Amino acid sequence: MTRPEITDKGTVFLVDDDIAVRRGVTALLSAAEYSVETSKSAEDFLSKLSSLDLSNAVLLVDICMPGIQGLELQELLKDQNIELPVIVMTAHGDVPMAVRAMRNGAVDFLEKPFTVVEVKTALDRALSMSRLDKTPLQSPEPALLDKFEKLTPREEEVLRGIVDGNTNKEIARVLDVSPRTVEAHRQKIMLKMGAASFAELIRMAIALNIDGNYLQ
Amino acid sequence: MRLALDDNDGSLTDQIIETVDTPIVILGPNGSIKRFNPASQKLTGYASDEVLGRKVWEFLIIDEEIDGVRAVFEKTRGEDTPTHFTNYWKRKDGQHRLLEWSNKTIHDRSGKVSYVLATGVDITDAQATKLQLSETQAYLMSIIDASPIAIITINERGELQSFNRQAEECFGYKAAEVLGENVKLLMPEPDQSRHDQYMGQYMETGEKRIMERARSVLAKRRNGEQFPAMLHVSEFKDGQPTFVGFIEDITDQKMTERRLKETQFQLQHAGRVGAMGEIATSIAHELNQPLTAAASFAGAVSLKLKKAEYAGCEDAIELLDDVVSEIRRASEIIRQMREFIRNRKTAKSLHNVNQVVQEAATISLIGAESEGVKLETSLDDDLGELQLDRIQIQQVLVNLIRNAVDAMKDCDEKRLKISTAKRVGFVEITVEDTGAGISDEMKERLFEPFATNKEGGVGIGLSISKAIIDAHQGEIFANIRDSPGTVFTVKLPEGAYDEARNHR
Repeated sequence: MTRPEITDKGTVFLVDDDIAVRRGVTALLSAAEYSVETSKSAEDFLSKLSSLDLSNAVLLVDICMPGIQGLELQELLKDQNIELPVIVMTAHGDVPMAVRAMRNGAVDFLEKPFTVVEVKTALDRALSMSRLDKTPLQSPEPALLDKFEKLTPREEEVLRGIVDGNTNKEIARVLDVSPRTVEAHRQKIMLKMGAASFAELIRMAIALNIDGNYLQ
Repeated sequence: MRLALDDNDGSLTDQIIETVDTPIVILGPNGSIKRFNPASQKLTGYASDEVLGRKVWEFLIIDEEIDGVRAVFEKTRGEDTPTHFTNYWKRKDGQHRLLEWSNKTIHDRSGKVSYVLATGVDITDAQATKLQLSETQAYLMSIIDASPIAIITINERGELQSFNRQAEECFGYKAAEVLGENVKLLMPEPDQSRHDQYMGQYMETGEKRIMERARSVLAKRRNGEQFPAMLHVSEFKDGQPTFVGFIEDITDQKMTERRLKETQFQLQHAGRVGAMGEIATSIAHELNQPLTAAASFAGAVSLKLKKAEYAGCEDAIELLDDVVSEIRRASEIIRQMREFIRNRKTAKSLHNVNQVVQEAATISLIGAESEGVKLETSLDDDLGELQLDRIQIQQVLVNLIRNAVDAMKDCDEKRLKISTAKRVGFVEITVEDTGAGISDEMKERLFEPFATNKEGGVGIGLSISKAIIDAHQGEIFANIRDSPGTVFTVKLPEGAYDEARNHR
């Protein structure tokens, strides 16, 4: 593979086992003026890792692949102290996997299929982190904390349930309310937190260290 | 010395008395022995000289019976009719013999008692035999009563002749209540009305409908309750035809069978739902990929159209946005389908692990023994109970056991070993076969959906199993050995169990 031309937007290392996905996402990202380097598997990516310029770059990897999976690749890179922001792609609704990836240090997750806006937002954020070389989980922004404190205890419980990867139905059972009530709470939480998407809400929750392990 | 009887032909009577094999004793009115024939001498060991003139109760009668014998003697003297009496004689050597007597008083011309004639039969041996017989009978009866199977006999009219203790237990009647009653009272309809006809038919034609082979029937208890029973009827002739029926209450056995059947049904259902879920999950992933590609292509075109040279394409861009949103809708439908199936919650409760394993083995091995599979089980008695979804865990085990049997299909040695063991913090269940083993290529994809090397296999069994064991916070893995065969291990944590305990 030829070294792609570096543009201002940055480089995306796309790892996905599906050729159509690689072609489609490459077309999309090229049109959005990112350079794209594709690999058909984690092994493929690792084999050319040494020859890649990792500056101003982001790894966009499918979480579910044959052989080394997305999460493992992420861990392998972490073990080698390779500072490359990671965005994982998950099947729609696979929250627990996404949460795990985020805890492992992924900066974001994208639910397949995604829109231009979603992918651009996620990539730009990751690339800005790459440039600043900051890990996002250190201290939540004060504004985010303010928003979080506006949640009622019940809403906070629902949020924890969501971050733990539970469906509305499961949360409803644990809290002994109807799934509809949980959905209502969920909408309110999104509103109060100012989250545009579910992924963003999860990202915020992770930034706030809200999850089962951090239960007070 | 002779004592002639007062008749016309004394010498003939004499001869009879002397030669008969029957003890004959003639007593005087006061009870003293006047005559003691050879048969009597032979029986007692006393010579005639030793006894003449002595009273019988002075030496021949055992102590306990002296009073009785004297009373009979007094009575005999007073009446003219013969009396019968049974008593022991004490022989000269001390042995006792039991004799049955016919006594007859003989009067002289003035009507005074002149003699008492006593003719005896030695019934000692007969009595012993009789006693022995009744002992044997009592012995047999106690065996019959101890039988765990109800045993009844009927005559050719269907009337109950015997009814053992288990029959009392089983039917709720006392023997005394039903003896002589028609056996049909122990049957529900339609047999009750038809039984006489059945018997009549048999008596007439000798055609055996239910005889000589066990068959399962419905029987009726006193309280009207019906129960499944195994009935075996045999005929024997004791003067007249008698039928003996052996009846075994198989309610428990039936219940076990029913439970197994239900489990089997639930397993099939769970298997179907599980397979659907697994397929849905797979489809969700597989279908999501082309949808992602399509949405990305549309997004790419949309971005290109936004560039300056394509000014005026806003309509097209909007249409492309619609394409993307429809693609997302399709993806959402798949997600909902998947979630719907996945939401089938595990219904955990406390179950005896060994019982769960045994049932699964029974169900999966139906018919396997005929294929030559030898089952070896080694179950750890200390396992106790674990919090688990019985049907789901059995689904996993049935899957593993059937896989094992399939893997040995073409092998000479077909040994299947199922073990359970208690380890620290978890319970281990292993299923071990001597089959073909797993290829290197398969090893990696073993628990992935649609990975199979079985002919006609879909390849979702193990991926479902893994999903189930994951939901139990357990582990499932295959130890691939150098020797032929495979060992699958399932580990189930004990934590859930402790938790359940603490919450009580």
